[in-house]
Amino acid sequence: MSATQLAGGVVAIGWPQLLLASGFVVVTGLLGVWMQLGVTKDLAVATVRTYVQLLLLGLVLRWAFAANKWWWVVGILTIMTVAAARIIIKRAPDAPSGLFLAAVTSMAVTGITVTFAVTGLVVGAEPWYSPRYVIPIAGMVLGNSMNGIALSLERVFADLDARADEIRALTALGATPWEAAHPSIRAALRAGLIPAINSMAAAGIVFIPGMMTGQVLAGADPLEATKYQIVVMLMVAAAEIIGAVLAVLMSYRRRFDVEGVYLDKGLRG
Amino acid sequence: MTNTTTPLLEARSLSVGRHGDAGILRVLDGLDLAVVGGALTDIVGPSGSGKTTLLLALARLLPGATGELLLRGEPAQRVEPRLWRTKVAYLPQRSSMFPGTVEDNLLLAWRLSVRSGLAVPDGGRLREVLDSVHLGDVALDRDASRLSEGQAARIALLRTVLTGPDVLLLDEPDAALDDESARQVGLLTRRFVDEGGAAVRVRHLRGDGHADRRMRLTGGRLVEESA
Repeated sequence: MSATQLAGGVVAIGWPQLLLASGFVVVTGLLGVWMQLGVTKDLAVATVRTYVQLLLLGLVLRWAFAANKWWWVVGILTIMTVAAARIIIKRAPDAPSGLFLAAVTSMAVTGITVTFAVTGLVVGAEPWYSPRYVIPIAGMVLGNSMNGIALSLERVFADLDARADEIRALTALGATPWEAAHPSIRAALRAGLIPAINSMAAAGIVFIPGMMTGQVLAGADPLEATKYQIVVMLMVAAAEIIGAVLAVLMSYRRRFDVEGVYLDKGLRG
Repeated sequence: MTNTTTPLLEARSLSVGRHGDAGILRVLDGLDLAVVGGALTDIVGPSGSGKTTLLLALARLLPGATGELLLRGEPAQRVEPRLWRTKVAYLPQRSSMFPGTVEDNLLLAWRLSVRSGLAVPDGGRLREVLDSVHLGDVALDRDASRLSEGQAARIALLRTVLTGPDVLLLDEPDAALDDESARQVGLLTRRFVDEGGAAVRVRHLRGDGHADRRMRLTGGRLVEESA
């Protein structure tokens, strides 16, 4: 079977071509075995997951676009938010327990605010829940803010532990948890924002961003694709900032007890 | 010496438990302690006997401590923890300098909200306190990270004393210092006590002649020894 030319100059990929793409992964896997990297199994699982998850996503999106109902859109966004929050918790193993609510809240607030600001005010999608716009844009917002939040949470709790002696000295001088934790919070938020800033700085010079690539491959005018990409990059940066700030502010206090004492490793139950 | 009848700080039946291999270990076991103004108390005992734990509990820096603490007769429950710590000041063994200058470090406590609105010591006062511990040659704008260990220890103690606490809790204040720095730290502590404060030092070195009282922590309780 050969690739098919669709309307608008888009070349559709057939199933054999899709499987053919796996050939490179097989080569990589063999290389991994030869070099004893110990990642072959992970690579195989990740490849299968990529096929299954993205094909399922394609089917769900096709169905959601056809259904065009607001409650399905909201339902899908909810599932995405909860899944992202679970991943955040897993990626910050040093974080205190009970952070799920902070992760869900920061993801939800970020997702709702930024996604609907873009679809409603920038794109002008009609109706407001238009799945063709809302779901992909929410996916990018949530995906990127998830990374920013996970990085910031991982960093803030690692930095607090590294500064445990300093925090104790500050607390002994009468510092509040906010005053004692502030340097760590600032460092964590900076760390969470650097990937977005780097990405913005390198876009168009070092790499062509993924969304723009996809649109161009799908037959869109490059300049129109560029405009969308600019909007996406700016909103992604905003999402990362808002999400990371919310998550860190909602969670750092959990490392202190009710009397404002930092619970270093020796004091945790 | 200005001993008063009401202790500045009092601990009654102070207990702290830790999870050990053989279950809960009572690091402090119903310990009683009263310190009065004008008295310097040394606490001695082997490593792991709970000396640092005691100081942390007295400063309300240790979650899970039980018993009764009183500051000038006022129960701890009636004193906000942050205010308590400004009155019962704990100085850790590793007295870290914070990023910034010597002046930034000396005035660190005034950058905290607990002291907002209070008069900040001026440059003259800071020079005076530096002179008092033989650090007259240290410029206020010197980068604190460039201080020697002995200089940093003296400045950390000054930083705490400047805030005017009632009680100083010092954890091995001279353990890793050169003789001159240790001598200055001892003299500064003695001056603080002579001006009416109370000080409790955890020490493992032999006596330096400043303590009025020496107590041994053993079995989670304090036993009086001769000073």
